[in-house]
Amino acid sequence: MKRVAYYKGCLASLSAKELDSSTQALAPKVGLELVDLESVTCCGAGDIHEAEPDYYLHLNARILAYAEAEKCDTLLTVCNVCTLNLRQANWQLKKDEALRERVSTNLQRVGAPPYNGTVEVRHLLWEIAEGDGYELLKAAAHKGLKGLKIAPFYGCQILRPSKILGFEDPDRPWSLERIIEACGGEAIDYPAKVKCCGFPIIQAREETALGELIQPIEQAKEAGAHAIVTPCPLCHLSLDAWQSKLKASTGKDFQMPILHLSQLVGVAAGLHESELKFKRHVVSMTPVLEKLEV
Amino acid sequence: MQVALKIWRYDPVAGDKALREYEFDAPEEATLLDCLDIVKDRIDGSLAYRKSCRMMICGSCGMRMDGAAVLACQTRMAPIAEAGHVPVVSSMGNLPIIKDLVVDMTPFWDKFLAVKPYLQPGYEEPPEDKEFVIPQERMNVIHKESLCINCGCCVSECNAMESDPEFLGPQALAKGMRFVGDPRDGAKVERLEAYNSEHGIWECTRCYFCNERCPKGVDPRDAIAKLGAESVAEGIDRDMGAKHANWFVTSAKTTGWLRETELVPKTQGIVTSVKQMKFALGLARRGKVPPPFPPHVAEKVEEARALYDLVKEEGRAGALGIVQGERALGRIEHDEEGPAER
Repeated sequence: MKRVAYYKGCLASLSAKELDSSTQALAPKVGLELVDLESVTCCGAGDIHEAEPDYYLHLNARILAYAEAEKCDTLLTVCNVCTLNLRQANWQLKKDEALRERVSTNLQRVGAPPYNGTVEVRHLLWEIAEGDGYELLKAAAHKGLKGLKIAPFYGCQILRPSKILGFEDPDRPWSLERIIEACGGEAIDYPAKVKCCGFPIIQAREETALGELIQPIEQAKEAGAHAIVTPCPLCHLSLDAWQSKLKASTGKDFQMPILHLSQLVGVAAGLHESELKFKRHVVSMTPVLEKLEV
Repeated sequence: MQVALKIWRYDPVAGDKALREYEFDAPEEATLLDCLDIVKDRIDGSLAYRKSCRMMICGSCGMRMDGAAVLACQTRMAPIAEAGHVPVVSSMGNLPIIKDLVVDMTPFWDKFLAVKPYLQPGYEEPPEDKEFVIPQERMNVIHKESLCINCGCCVSECNAMESDPEFLGPQALAKGMRFVGDPRDGAKVERLEAYNSEHGIWECTRCYFCNERCPKGVDPRDAIAKLGAESVAEGIDRDMGAKHANWFVTSAKTTGWLRETELVPKTQGIVTSVKQMKFALGLARRGKVPPPFPPHVAEKVEEARALYDLVKEEGRAGALGIVQGERALGRIEHDEEGPAER
């Protein structure tokens, strides 16, 4: 078992509880021991970075410091936005010693542990797309996906900027496809799989966001996908919950089921509904589950 | 070496679009631009593309290769040819095509001019007989922005502009930041007001394609974040995007976690939120609207509160807060030991 500090972030704690429950249930099957952190907060989701950048840096340093205090080398994330925010702060803190000293001193002044720059931030996707995690995944996914056609949707902040994320080629990613296939599904290819779902501006500029959101859903539908899978709960929320708004604005009723990464693997690994919590989705998962029953 | 490539040709007179393949011999060190020259000289003189300096300075030869915007003069063909790959070359995105690989840059220049890309008078005069010396710390804030060569690679890939062509976009806004952060410019507040417009900074969807594609390391998305931080620091926060961002700060320092359910009314105001009620009820049925009471409070949230006060005291608000560690993040870095002593 690999001991990793588990950072679930805001959404998995609140509106996307199904992401947390399925991740917790899946983790031991793919060799991950999730360590809860004593105290962590929101990463700022890019918003605090934009409004109060120095506060953003301190909040993220504090999350990293609590992971370090648990003697974990890896901080596991399940959200693209958390991944970028934490990795960006970590990069700054690791490369600039004077900056790390200032921030670390401030952490200690408020009673938090110091941060010495020893933690790596890694998304669940990266842990199970290669190495031991991938081998265990293949063994765990015994129930399989029975040839279900799955459209991988990466979203932005797990691919770009690649100099901070850097796991795979941001224009030709392969990790989700590899996992879909290891689970016995068929990965569907379509151009918008690496583009933006519109979520960051879905409240402030809804029309522009919906113009982005429709692309992956429409293309995946045209390519014959039965469902879309995403490693990001924010992409999940816009793809799943805002689909009804696409119907209102374009008249197109896609009814495209959207899965979290941990749910996709979880289905293949035979997790229970109490862990997968598909009832929490807005677009019904029933057609997908019926296909798996056959 | 033997090179093969496909080019999307467009004939504006007939309106025909066609993907043509070309094969030819090229020197080992040939760039994509050299290869286009070979095609034009030896195979088809009617091929249209822009070029000038051949050395990543003029910004003329922006185009797409395999769907990604590049400068043709920067792209070496040897690894591609050796891999046996036949790349597809096409014109940049988000701009109308004139012919083949040549796009109409008019919308690009219109947005560029709209941000007033020049120093505006009103700044402090330098001491008599002295130069206007800008401290290094202030220069760092706009170092990357001043590297822009107006090639359009960022605009080509901008996801928000694809959805709304009126979005000012990464190039114009990065240029705007170059002047907002310049201590000699006298129009900082007016600029920030203008860039906070409907199609300004808060329409950026944070897809980071601009940072990924920029051949000069400008990182336009970071420039837009700097403009956001400068706006908030100046109290220019009436836009829904700024309110959205500020709500995350309030959430972090009060409960530690995002106060998700209150985010919509805090961003859009009560009247607009009420119009969203039917939509919200649909989400609530699926547990997507967590009740705000009792609030989800992080353990030891008092640390997050105290950090906020401490950070405020240290006064690194605005763009200054974003460029910390910039040397670590910048694509154009000094050597490992840091900049040479002066």
